[in-house]
Amino acid sequence: MLELNRVQASQGRNQFCFTGTLSQGKCTALMGASGAGKTTLLNLLAGFVMPDSGQLLWQGQELATLSPAQRPFTSLFQEHNLFAHLNLFDNVGLGLHPGLRLLPEQVEAVNLALQQVGLGGMGQRLPSSLSGGQRQRTALARALVRRQPWLLLDEPFSALDPGLRQEMMSLVSDLQQQYQLSIVLVTHDPQEALKMASEVMFIAEGGVYWQGHGNEFLQQINEPIQRYLGHTTG
Amino acid sequence: MMFDYVRHHAWLGFSLIALGLIVGPFVVVVFALSGQFAAIDWSLLATDAYLRAVIWFSIWQAALSTVLSVGLALPLARALARRQFVGRGLLLRVFSVALVIPPIVAVYGLVVVHGRQGWVNELLRYLDLSSGSYLYGLVGILLAHVFFNLPLATRIVLQRMESIEPESWRLASQLGMSSWQHWRLLEWPHIRSVLAPLAALIFALCFTSFAIIMSLGGGPRATTLEVAIYQAVRLDFDLPLATQLSLVQLVLCSFIVWLGLRLGRPAEISHSIGVHVVRPDIGSWQSKLADVLLLLLGLVLIVLPLSGVILAGLNGHWGQVLGDAQLWLAAWNSLWVAVCAAALCLFMAWGLLLMRRHTQERWPWVAAVLESVGMLTLVMPALVLGTGLFLALRLWVDVFAINLYLVLLVNSILGLPFMLRVLTAPYLQLARQHDRLCTSLDISGWHRLRQIEWPLLKPAIGLGLAIVAAFSVGDLGVVALFGTPDIKTLPLLMYQRLGSYQADAAAVTAVVLLALCLLVFVMMEKGVGGRRA
Repeated sequence: MLELNRVQASQGRNQFCFTGTLSQGKCTALMGASGAGKTTLLNLLAGFVMPDSGQLLWQGQELATLSPAQRPFTSLFQEHNLFAHLNLFDNVGLGLHPGLRLLPEQVEAVNLALQQVGLGGMGQRLPSSLSGGQRQRTALARALVRRQPWLLLDEPFSALDPGLRQEMMSLVSDLQQQYQLSIVLVTHDPQEALKMASEVMFIAEGGVYWQGHGNEFLQQINEPIQRYLGHTTG
Repeated sequence: MMFDYVRHHAWLGFSLIALGLIVGPFVVVVFALSGQFAAIDWSLLATDAYLRAVIWFSIWQAALSTVLSVGLALPLARALARRQFVGRGLLLRVFSVALVIPPIVAVYGLVVVHGRQGWVNELLRYLDLSSGSYLYGLVGILLAHVFFNLPLATRIVLQRMESIEPESWRLASQLGMSSWQHWRLLEWPHIRSVLAPLAALIFALCFTSFAIIMSLGGGPRATTLEVAIYQAVRLDFDLPLATQLSLVQLVLCSFIVWLGLRLGRPAEISHSIGVHVVRPDIGSWQSKLADVLLLLLGLVLIVLPLSGVILAGLNGHWGQVLGDAQLWLAAWNSLWVAVCAAALCLFMAWGLLLMRRHTQERWPWVAAVLESVGMLTLVMPALVLGTGLFLALRLWVDVFAINLYLVLLVNSILGLPFMLRVLTAPYLQLARQHDRLCTSLDISGWHRLRQIEWPLLKPAIGLGLAIVAAFSVGDLGVVALFGTPDIKTLPLLMYQRLGSYQADAAAVTAVVLLALCLLVFVMMEKGVGGRRA
């Protein structure tokens, strides 16, 4: 279990204070209006943003003092997940060694990961020769070889066509089953999120506004959630 | 943990060494100059006619050069933006290397074209018109300064013009705008922001120009502060006067650069030549005639002197000059000093950028200070730096024995603003794009440099090295201050041959120097930057 205990941060003029828990082995959808602080929360977890105060605990261990590379997370961003000058193999291999000095079994692992995301045999291609979906698959392959228990997805598929998006979602679901991954997913589309996520964390008013099971989320009559879902009439 | 801590803060050590190499000489110079303060007679500024003439002429020639260069660059860039013709790419290429052509070579080209026995006077004599000498003095200085700065200004203005979106042109033609309206509504707003810093840069370059004034100027009516400093140190050994002149120079130069930066943002130097857009304002015969005349003027001012160098060189006695060991020794000195200066300059620039990247989030003021450190060298002219180092070091070492190392150091510091202009934008862009990914994958330090930064920044690094190295090959400023009869660089040799009326030898030396300069430029640009750079 990942615990956020009054984790405070400021981004520009906005103040945030997050308290809540993320369950292990499940997929939690992070929802909220744009600018509510979803990405800030993700950046706090990954260590790209340092908290001003508060505790961030995983299995009882404080994470705030660890560098991003030492934390149990691996991230998939909206874009710029790959280095354009490196081929797919190297891009994935960077997940295992930042200087690309790979042992034979690590080379094996990279090839296997590429196969699992449907890019087997394409290791020598450059990102520029791939479609947007294939690029995100490559980034997913790197996430797999890093073997971190948590996967942070920051709207990684929002730029893809609806069909491709479905495909990627089910691929992530399969991989989650297979590797027992814990996922935090930031998304804009509630319907889609609920297909994948069993838990929901709703961000509003500078913190975690509501947290619970996915199927309860749509029944909430809180004003911010209703407004977010587009159900208010006034 | 300890190891991790060291690994994650290694950049700081690297940056501090670089910073020390940049700031150290400045501190030494300020300290050395302050030792002369007591002996300065400030009343000279009010009473001495020579001193006042020198200050006045420095400002006057720099102002005229700036007005001419920028004033001609605007219509010339517009003509280049409007027309597509055979050789346009080549012309732009010549423009882009013009800035790094050794000043002494340019001077020689001007002598070939405009000198007493030059092409222009030959033509006048052939037409039975009065011929005469007009090159030495203000006219020649302006011709030389326009030769260097018109291409620079034209390229920067053209780059801005080509950054106008094609949609804007389509819209303009739909709205039926006239040529004047194009200028006022589309081009001018794009150019305006870079003009003030560009003018300030050109003013500073002309204000501190040395080799050109040394060769084409002279006497109280055509001497600048930079030359007067040289004479005070090298000929009269009047150190208080040299210090006084340096301070006047420093104050005036800082003011101009500060003013330019206040009024706009400096343009970055890059390779990219924008997409050529077919513009709606190219049809009328008046515009065609005007553009042809402008392009011809550009050819006469810039390409003609260069062809002069090459043609005169082809007629020279090659065997005799190339057989001279002195030439090869001087060429070798120029080459290694240039390559080392460029490398050292890259090291300094990298250290600054590294520190700027690490501090810009948490301590924005540190990053701002670092940015201005890079500009510091624009206001500290070569000879002031050289004089200060000379004064400080002569107490400890034989300055003339280590002269080439001093030239190397000064040239790398002087090249810093150019290196930073080339590198800063791509470096910070890369950081913005990849910082999160790099930290999450623990790609830092050496790994980051080798895997990410080097492959992506190679073209910019190559261009920066090329500019600084070529500059250094042609340098005839600091080296004149420290030069000795037995240790010479190629520009120094060239200057002596020009001065001692060895026309033939000078012609060949000019070609060799030009070739070396271009060779170093291409070697760095393509060799380091990659073939596609």
